[in-house]
Amino acid sequence: MPKPLASIQHGEKSIWGNEIELNNGKKILLNASSGKGKSTFATTVFGLRNDYEGTITYDDVDIKTLSVDDWTEIRKSKISVVFQDLQLFPKLSVKENLLLKNSLTDTFTEKELLERLELLEIENKWEQKCGLLSMGQQQRVAIIRALAQPFKWLVMDEPFSHLDEENTQRCLKLIDKRATDINAGFVLTTLGDDHSFNFDQELNL
Amino acid sequence: MLNKLLFKNQDKKQLIIAIIGAFMGITFLITSIHYLIRVNEFGEGADILGPNTIIVQKKVSNSSTLGFARTDFSKNEIQKIKDKPFIHDVKPVIANNFDVSFETADPLVPRFRSDVFIQTVDPEFLDVDLTNWDWKEGNDFVPMIMPRDFLVMLNTFMSASGIPQISDDLAMDIKFKFTLSNNSDSEKEWVDARIVGFTNEVASILVPETFMTYGNNKFSDGTEQKITQVMISGEESEFGLVEEMLEKRGLETKNSQMVVGRLKSMVGTLFLVVLGISVIAVFVSGLVLIQYMQLLMTRNSYEVRTLMRMGHHPKKIIRMFFLYFVKIFGVVAGLGLILFFIFKFFLDSMFANGGLYIGTSVTIGSISALLIAYALFAFASYRTATKGIFNEY
Repeated sequence: MPKPLASIQHGEKSIWGNEIELNNGKKILLNASSGKGKSTFATTVFGLRNDYEGTITYDDVDIKTLSVDDWTEIRKSKISVVFQDLQLFPKLSVKENLLLKNSLTDTFTEKELLERLELLEIENKWEQKCGLLSMGQQQRVAIIRALAQPFKWLVMDEPFSHLDEENTQRCLKLIDKRATDINAGFVLTTLGDDHSFNFDQELNL
Repeated sequence: MLNKLLFKNQDKKQLIIAIIGAFMGITFLITSIHYLIRVNEFGEGADILGPNTIIVQKKVSNSSTLGFARTDFSKNEIQKIKDKPFIHDVKPVIANNFDVSFETADPLVPRFRSDVFIQTVDPEFLDVDLTNWDWKEGNDFVPMIMPRDFLVMLNTFMSASGIPQISDDLAMDIKFKFTLSNNSDSEKEWVDARIVGFTNEVASILVPETFMTYGNNKFSDGTEQKITQVMISGEESEFGLVEEMLEKRGLETKNSQMVVGRLKSMVGTLFLVVLGISVIAVFVSGLVLIQYMQLLMTRNSYEVRTLMRMGHHPKKIIRMFFLYFVKIFGVVAGLGLILFFIFKFFLDSMFANGGLYIGTSVTIGSISALLIAYALFAFASYRTATKGIFNEY
């Protein structure tokens, strides 16, 4: 239970205060209204905050005991995240934003990155600075950046909030294919919409 | 790409000011240390007396001539001089208390004989190889240090006799002889002697203390040995205080010794002031550079944080900031070194034109100062970068 959320009344099925296990390769929907802790969940499992009570384990290791080296390795090749605020570099181009991530593991070639941009219909933004893109375009860049690494889990915090249904479906299809290809799971947080996707598991807050 | 992300689009005004400050500081730091060392070395090896060493005696006045004032030094007076903070050491100059004559004893040199005055000083004040500066009864010869004026006189004598004049090295190969005797001339002894060095600062022949003790014990008439001269070595760059003390105590020395000491003190003090200012300049500009690094990390806190969230290791980002700043300081140090060589080219010729023939090679001290400044800056940069990056982790 995150300390800032301790004063809020949570439902019986809420993951806060209960023990849950996320199994490898599962596609999970985390459904909750605003202020219930979706972003807290994403940042906590990613090791960015530790103001919680209870234990979170990753491969049976308490994540509070992980070192800087461990977290660097996890963020590089085990858990990938699409943050709600995207966390792109606005002064760098789309290409530079993607290569900065991709260069850590050489997951894709430049051609493969361009192909993914093309699938999401933003290939013409390759050389454009991210700060000049619309929020919807930035969300698509952030999704491709998150895919440009090996991972066991992909955590996405409301990644489609600025996308229309058509673009959402394109993104979801790309994410699903990539996760299936590398036998990885993902957690998608939403405000209630399941985007007509057949999730393996649904979590509540 | 990382360089572009972290170091492009920054306001470089503060960086440029710090670089100019560090550049000037480094240049003057190396220059002042180099010349401080060279000026302090000035005069070393030119005479057999050690550096900053003078021989003083009491000024002879009418009252001392009439016997109302002493011209010799008491033990108490010597101790008082020694107690001064700017005095490194004081030792009495011991003179012979018996008759000594000196003559050439070499078939290649015409006979030359004269009554002489011999003295001995503590070997600590002499720039000689102490293994050669020793004598004991039974030795083949007594080593002696000659006044250079003696060689001039000998050469004049040789020239007048139609014999070629001799150099310092040749003079050291000539055999000489001392004749030691008591006042009544009832006892006599002859001892061979060789020149081992020359001095411009002492007017008498210098011999080892053991030889003087031997002569005084064997041929003295028993009268008390008076100390009329003392040898003083002063601390570096404090010759003004030595001079003031001599004036106050009614002492005098050879003017040339004072001139060199005064000159060294003056130039040394000047470079010491420049050194002080340079150290402050390097320190302040180093601090400004470090502060600029902190500012840069603060301005880039979002980028740094995001990079680490993406899986870039903090150590990699620390290395980037560290290398960026040590490269800047390295370029500044390199440029400072080049400017130092340009300064040195002009200053060396200015000193030489003014008659100050100081060493022209680069001093290890000045290069060491540069390396120390660089190492300290590198250390401070690494610590600052480490602290700054992990604050964002």
